[in-house]
Amino acid sequence: MALTASRSLHLGGPPEIEVKEVSFTYRGSTEPALHGISFVQRRGEIVGVVGPSGAGKSTLVKCLNRLVPSFDNGTFAGVVKIAGQTLAEQRVCDVAPLVGMVFQDFESQLFSTNVAHEVAFAMEQCGYSREEMVQRVGAALRAVGLEGFESRDPATLSGGEKQRLAVAAVMALRPRVIVLDEPTTDLDPQGRAEVFALIEQMRLQGATLVLVEHDLEALRVCDRLLVVRDGRIVADLPPSELMARVELLESCRLRPPDLSLLCERLGITPHTQTLEEAERAIRARFRICATACESRLDYDASASSCLPVTRVGQEANKGRQEALIEVRKLTYAYPEGRLALEDIDFAVGSGEFVAIVGRNGSGKSTLAKHLVGILRPTRGQVLLGGRDLSRLTVAEISRHVGFVFQNPDHQIFAATVEEEVAFGPRNFGLKPDEVAERTQRVLAAVGLEKLRFQDPFLLSKGERQRVAVAAALALNPRVLILDEPTTGLDFFEQRRMMELLTELNRGGVAIVIITHTPWLVACYARRVVMMERGRKVFDGPVRQFFASSELLENSAFRLPEVTALSRRLGLVALTVDELVSVLEARS
Amino acid sequence: MPIYLYLDRGTLFHRFHPTVKVFGLFAVFWTVFWLDHPVALAPVGALLLGVAHASRSWANFRRLSWLLLLIVFFTSLVWILFFRVGAPLAKVGPLWVSRASLEFGLGRGLKLAELIATTIIFLSTTKVEEFSYGLRALGVPYRVGFAITLAFRLAPLFIDSALEVVAAQSLRGHEFRRGGPLSRLRRYAPVMIPVFMGALRKANNMAMALEARGFGHSPRPTSFAEYRFTRSDLFALIALSVLASASFLAYYLGWAGIKIR
Repeated sequence: MALTASRSLHLGGPPEIEVKEVSFTYRGSTEPALHGISFVQRRGEIVGVVGPSGAGKSTLVKCLNRLVPSFDNGTFAGVVKIAGQTLAEQRVCDVAPLVGMVFQDFESQLFSTNVAHEVAFAMEQCGYSREEMVQRVGAALRAVGLEGFESRDPATLSGGEKQRLAVAAVMALRPRVIVLDEPTTDLDPQGRAEVFALIEQMRLQGATLVLVEHDLEALRVCDRLLVVRDGRIVADLPPSELMARVELLESCRLRPPDLSLLCERLGITPHTQTLEEAERAIRARFRICATACESRLDYDASASSCLPVTRVGQEANKGRQEALIEVRKLTYAYPEGRLALEDIDFAVGSGEFVAIVGRNGSGKSTLAKHLVGILRPTRGQVLLGGRDLSRLTVAEISRHVGFVFQNPDHQIFAATVEEEVAFGPRNFGLKPDEVAERTQRVLAAVGLEKLRFQDPFLLSKGERQRVAVAAALALNPRVLILDEPTTGLDFFEQRRMMELLTELNRGGVAIVIITHTPWLVACYARRVVMMERGRKVFDGPVRQFFASSELLENSAFRLPEVTALSRRLGLVALTVDELVSVLEARS
Repeated sequence: MPIYLYLDRGTLFHRFHPTVKVFGLFAVFWTVFWLDHPVALAPVGALLLGVAHASRSWANFRRLSWLLLLIVFFTSLVWILFFRVGAPLAKVGPLWVSRASLEFGLGRGLKLAELIATTIIFLSTTKVEEFSYGLRALGVPYRVGFAITLAFRLAPLFIDSALEVVAAQSLRGHEFRRGGPLSRLRRYAPVMIPVFMGALRKANNMAMALEARGFGHSPRPTSFAEYRFTRSDLFALIALSVLASASFLAYYLGWAGIKIR
């Protein structure tokens, strides 16, 4: 039975959304995607929808504007009412003035060549007069902080700006409800921060929002959270109550916030919701003197004085042996002359685990593409095992360096998982028995043996990402480079992917990941390279990176909660386990 | 990187009414269609060079120069060698050229170059919204006009995606240029399948987003952009009409064709 909050209807306004016994089964599927879901959302409420991949979150929110069942065909049952109107036979376009929707893929929801036209698009479709459109375009752009961008081409905006534009385009129709379906998944930390600042502002203005999101910590802004699992709502609680239920969250493949995990581990009840509360509780519990720790807040000079110093040193040096790939004074300019990389010196040694971070457009992917020879330097050199990469063919390079693109669908084409993985070794002319042996070995390594005869197009995004990793591993590379390998994956899939990479790393494969996810860097990487406007601005141990306020600000990285809390206590802990062990050692 | 060819230059050609621009596109196509002889095509080419200069579209010509040159060169070459009409001027083995084949080949190359140049100038001076508006003004149904303009929006995205797929498959040791023509065609399957699947997914997402933004709600969508028909537009329309008529007249009088000697 679903857990229900006593305060769920606290806002007391009239119901804006009423969902009664909604079920939906996609055409061709035997299992329903939604099983008799019911909930009510009041005017001015913000409701977050969370759950693992494939739980039915997107299907549920698509019912609110009739994309389900009008667009995605299947068997629909139940009633959806928006502002008292029952949505029954309406077309999706007729529901647009009532329910606005912002999607994850910002490229697919922008159709115009300038920002003002983009915002006016929906109003044109609904037959608004020009005067009305001019007035509303201005108001919507002001609301999302894009005033002055009217004549800009949307393609030239940053990811965060594009998503804010998508919100403005929806807001211009002044719908009763705005649904945001994973609006920050494809954004860098700066873009995420922009979108969440906008959501906070909309909350203060009394908007009725439905927000689908993987990151629980970001959902504290909501009034209620619906947890969806296997097409059912298994909990409907305020964020503070839900986040205290660590076991429930983990059973739903959600990442419990660091503060909740910490409170659980330290036995602090009730669970604290803010860093200030957590700091007070820990200081009281462990009798940490405020003045004593304040005297040790000089993070940049000496990262983590409360942690054993040797550990930091070990992190810096661990695994750094001979350089497998070496980049010397690398400069790369686009054909039109704009510099993408400038004077980069960088090396990856065997057994290293490196995270490349930085804002969108900082040069991370361009650098990575040089490491596999997809791009050739304008100036400088890339050496692979001491040999100049420019003298090797891409195929020769790929025997030593594997590259996994952000979108696994850019390489998948075969009829079965096994065929897909065997494609690379076959291209290199390996004998059939050797191809079979390698395929079997890498499928076992990535945990896909049972799916070897499956059509890869029918797998989940996490599984397809693992197929892509397996395909790269099948060439026995000594270095594996992954461009944002966890984008769009839920917590369970993210952790599974990272554990796979850790396992490969233990086996001797050097790992280089490009990522925007702070907790992944904190938990798994050992070295951070930070890019900013085509230049390398930091290259060092993870702890040193998280200890520097300036670097964090420039990268727009949001500190993992546990790291932020530990810094308040004069430490730089990267994981909950680490902070717990330090605190317990002190006590 | 901008994904359109549109260059925001604010020249007279940019300021023309969308209807005039779309009419101009079709009028130049019509003009070129009736002309075969390079001498007849040359004035139109000179006119287009002038327009390219006045509309400050050279950046796009530079961007697409390799494509333009390649297409024009090979088209001319193929027609020169295979338009086997008239008395031979020169002969090498089974290949020979005549004055007629030279004129016809050069004419075909020039014709193609002018069609491409017209399109580049049009796209450099016309926003997608103007294109859609112009098509509607000329009686093309809104949905059809929007679909055409959307194709321009999507094409660069698909090209980017195809380049990424080619890179991904090359990194897996795939060679595209091995074997005969049929084998080479088959070797493109690892590119075509992901690109096609990605295109379907993208088109599906876009269609969903369009419907969610009210596309099709009103049978008569309004327009945010405001366009005024000015005296320059009228002059341009007259000039284009004269050009198109002159071309047809030249064809009708037999001045623009290839004479076989």
